[in-house]
Amino acid sequence: MNTLQRHRKLSDIWASEPGPRGLISTVNHTDLGRMFLAVSFFFFLVGGVLAMLIRAQLATPQSAFAGPEIYNQIFTMHGTIMMFLFAIPTFEGLAMYLLPKMLGARDLAFPRLSAYGFWCYVFGGTMMLASMVLGIAPDGGWFMYPPLTGAIYSPGINTDFWLIGITIVEISAIAAAVEITVSILKYRAPGMSLDKLPIFAWYALVTALMILTGFPPLILGSILLELERAFGLPFFQTEFGGDSLLWQHLFWLFGHPEVYIIFLPAAGVISTILPVMCRTTLLGYGWIVASATGLAFLSFGIWVHHMFTTGIPHMGLAFFSAASTLVAVPTGVQLFAWIGTMWKGRPSLRMPMLHLLGFFFTFVIGGLTGVMVAVVPFDWQAHDTAFVTAHLHYVLFGGFVFPIMAALYYWMPHVSGRKRFFRLGELAFGLVFIGFHVTFLAMHWVGLLGQRRRISTYLPEDGWTTVNLISSIGSFVLAIGIAMVIVDLVLHAFTARRSRRDPWNAGTLEWAMMTPPPAYNFASLPHVTSRQPLADDSELPIRLARGEGYLSEPEQGWRESLTVEIATGKPDFHIIYPTNTRLPIVMAAVTGVFFVSLLLKFYWTIPLAVVGVTILAWRWAWSLGHRTDLPLRAVGGGLDLPNATQVARSPSWWGSVFLLTANATFFGSLLFGFAFLWTVAPAWPPPAWFGASLLEWAVGILAAGLAVVSIRRAARANARGDDVRIWLGLTFLSALLVAGATLGIVVRAPTPAGHAYGATLLVLGGYALFHAALVALMVAFLAARVFRGFTSPRRHADFPVVTLWVDYLAATAMLIFAVAHAPGLLA
Amino acid sequence: MKDIIRILIAPLVWLASFSAVYGLHGLICGHGVDGAVFGVIAVPRFLLVGAYILAILIQVGLVWALHSARFGSPSPFVRFVSRATGWLGLVSAVWALLPTVTTTYCL
Repeated sequence: MNTLQRHRKLSDIWASEPGPRGLISTVNHTDLGRMFLAVSFFFFLVGGVLAMLIRAQLATPQSAFAGPEIYNQIFTMHGTIMMFLFAIPTFEGLAMYLLPKMLGARDLAFPRLSAYGFWCYVFGGTMMLASMVLGIAPDGGWFMYPPLTGAIYSPGINTDFWLIGITIVEISAIAAAVEITVSILKYRAPGMSLDKLPIFAWYALVTALMILTGFPPLILGSILLELERAFGLPFFQTEFGGDSLLWQHLFWLFGHPEVYIIFLPAAGVISTILPVMCRTTLLGYGWIVASATGLAFLSFGIWVHHMFTTGIPHMGLAFFSAASTLVAVPTGVQLFAWIGTMWKGRPSLRMPMLHLLGFFFTFVIGGLTGVMVAVVPFDWQAHDTAFVTAHLHYVLFGGFVFPIMAALYYWMPHVSGRKRFFRLGELAFGLVFIGFHVTFLAMHWVGLLGQRRRISTYLPEDGWTTVNLISSIGSFVLAIGIAMVIVDLVLHAFTARRSRRDPWNAGTLEWAMMTPPPAYNFASLPHVTSRQPLADDSELPIRLARGEGYLSEPEQGWRESLTVEIATGKPDFHIIYPTNTRLPIVMAAVTGVFFVSLLLKFYWTIPLAVVGVTILAWRWAWSLGHRTDLPLRAVGGGLDLPNATQVARSPSWWGSVFLLTANATFFGSLLFGFAFLWTVAPAWPPPAWFGASLLEWAVGILAAGLAVVSIRRAARANARGDDVRIWLGLTFLSALLVAGATLGIVVRAPTPAGHAYGATLLVLGGYALFHAALVALMVAFLAARVFRGFTSPRRHADFPVVTLWVDYLAATAMLIFAVAHAPGLLA
Repeated sequence: MKDIIRILIAPLVWLASFSAVYGLHGLICGHGVDGAVFGVIAVPRFLLVGAYILAILIQVGLVWALHSARFGSPSPFVRFVSRATGWLGLVSAVWALLPTVTTTYCL
C-alpha cells in the first residue's frame, strides 16, 4: 500500500458523514474539539455582551438603563456563562482537539462519550440561554447562596434554571474529564513514558483529575438545593436543622479549585507555546510538573478563604489563610520557570507571544492581589467589594483569556491549514490589553473607595462616578479589541494563504501531520524517544505518512489504535473504536428530557426518561466487544498485541475507575454535609432518630459481602470456562437484597420535610438504592452478554468492570447502613 | 499507576490530614469539648497539637519512603517529581497547620 492509498483508505474509515448529518453523528475528536470551541466562544461573546450591559448600567450614577431585577439576571448570567459555559468547555474543546495529536494517537479513549458530553453541554447551555431570552434567568449571583436562593426568597423558576442547567453542563465536564484522564494515561504513542509526555498533557491530566474531584460537591449542592426548593427538604434552613453555610462549603469546595481548573490548562498552553516563541526548550520540566500537581492539591485546601466573614473561629481562619499564602509558591515556581525559559532562549515577538506577555503582566498583578485577600484582616475590609471582582478578573482574564488568545493564534494554522495574512491581531491585542487594565484597575480603585459588588446603581455623592465612567470606557475599548480578534480570525479562516505544515518550528507531535488534520491524525503511529519528537527528526511526518510507524495497514475497516503502559509507554493492547453514531446526541436529548421534566415539574415524564436512558445505555455498551476470540494483532515493529476485550484492565475498567473517583467524591461530600449539619447546625439533635433495625442492617451487610464474593467467583468460573450463571444470579440477588435494605432507610427516614436529619438520610438511602439498582442492571447486562457469547475465558474484560461497581456498592452501602442505624441503636 | 500514586500520595495525604484537623477543630468547637490534660494543657489544644504532630510525622514518613530504594520509583523523572511533591506535602503540613500552636481555637 502506497502513501496515497493508505491516506484514502484511512480517510474512508475515519471520516464523518458528509453534510449536517456528520455534525450530529460524528464521534471524531477533531470534529468534537472544534465544535466545543465554536460553542464555547459563542458563549464567550454572549458573556461579553452581558459584561458591556453591566458597565453601561454602572457608567453613570442612578442609571435607568436596567432595573434591579434585570440587572441581577445580567450579572448572574455573566458570571455563570463565563465560568461554566466558556472557560471549562474551552479547556475541554482544546484538550479534545489537541491531546490525541500531541500524544501520537488516533482518537481519545471513548469517542462516543466525547460526543455525549458535547451534546449535554449544548442542551444545558441552551436551557440557560432560553431562560435569559424569556426574562426568567437566574438572578442570585453566580454562587447562588441560600437562603436568598431558597424557595422563600426566590420562589420563581429562575434559580431552578441555574441548578438544573449547570448540573447538565457538569455532567458534560465529568464525561470529558474521564475521557481526558484515560486518554492521557493509556492512549499514547509507544515509547512515550511519563517523562516524555508533552507538558500540555500533564496540565490537562491534573486539570481533569481536579474536575473529577472538584465538581461533585457542587453537583451535590445543586441537588440538595433543588430538593429543598421542589420538595421542601430543609438542608439549608436553620430552623429545621439545616444550615445555609453548608451550601457555601459545598460551593467553594468546588469554586476554589475551579479557579485552578481554569488556570492550569492555560498554564499548559503557556508552557507549550512559550519555548517555541523563544526558540528553546522548556526550563524545569520536572519542577513544572511537580508544581502543577502541588497547586492542584493546595487549591482543594483553601475553599474557606471565600468565607472569612462568616464568623468562623480564628484558628479556622488561620488554617485557610496560611494554606492560601502557600499557593503562591508552586505558582511562583512556574512563573520563574517561564521567565527562565525566556532568558535561556531568543524570544520572538510574534502574535502568540504578545498575548503571553499580556498574561505575565496581568496575572502577576492578579496573583499579588490574591495574596492580599488571603490575609484575613485585609479580606474583612475588601470582602464583597468591587476590589474582589477586579482581583478575580485579573486572575481569570490574565490567567485564562490571554493564554487562550495566544493558543488561538498559535494553533489556528493547524486548524485551518492557513497562514495569517492581515495584521489586525496586533492592534486587537493592544486594545484588549489597554481596555482590560483601564477597566479593572479602575475597579480595584472604586472597590477600595467602598463600592460593593453587584450593586445596580449608586448615588452621585458616593464619589464613584468618575472611576466608574473610566472603567466603563475601558470595557468598551476591550470589547472593540475582542471584536477585532474575531474579525482577524474570520479573515484568517476565509482569505489567508496556505501555510506550511509546522509554521512555528515546534517540536511536538501535533505538527507532524497534514494541516488541517486528517480524521485519522497519523497514517501510522510514531515511536517516541523524546519530548520533542519532531525537533529531533524533521523527517518524521513523511515517515509516518509512508507507513513506517505502528498500525500502518488498516484491517477490516476498523478504526484502530493502541494503548501503552502508564509509566513506561510500552505497548499494551489493541483498540477497535466505535464508528459514527447518533446514539450520543439521542442519549443527551433523553438526559435533557429528564432534567427539563425536573425543571418544569412534569414528574410523570421522569420515569420515561430514566427508562429511555437505561435502554440507550444498554445499547451503547452492547455494541462493544466481539463474539469470537480475536487473534493477536500484528501492529508493526514486530509487536503482536491482544485486543482490549481480552485484557483485565480494559478502557472501560479505567473509565469506571475515574468515574467512581468522581462518584466517591460526591459520596464523601454527602457524608461531610451530614457531619457538618450534625456538628454545626443549631437545631440538632433532631426530634427523633431513625428507628434502627439490626435485621435490615445485618441483611444489608451480608448481601453486600455476598455480592463481592459471588462476582469474583463468576469471574473465576468464566476464566476456567465453567458455567457462570449461578454466580451471576447470586450477585444479582445480593444487589436486590442491598436495595431492599436501603429501601428501609428511604421509607422510614423520619419526617424528611421536617428536619435536615431525615432529609439527609433520605438522600443517603436514595444514593445506595440507586447504586444497588445500577449494579443489578449491570449484572443482568453481563449475564445477557455471557448468554449471547460475548465472553469466553479469553474475552473476560467485562467481569472486572462489573466487579469494580459491585465493590463500590458494597463499600458505600456498608457506610450508609452504619450512618443510618448506629445513632438510633446508640441512642 | 504506581508511579502516578507516588507523585500524588504526599499532597493527597496532606489534603486528608488538613481536612481532618479542620474537622477535628469543628468537632471541638461545635460540641464544646473542654477540660485539661495533666492539669496543664487544655484538651482541645492537646488534641489539635497532637493531630498536627501526627500529620507532620506521616509526611516525614512519606518523604523518607519516597527517598528510599524500596518505595521510590525506578524512573529518575518520577523519582524527582514524587520527591518534590513529597517535600511540598511536608512543608504544607508544617505551615498550614501551624495555627494549632499559635492561635486561640474557638474564638
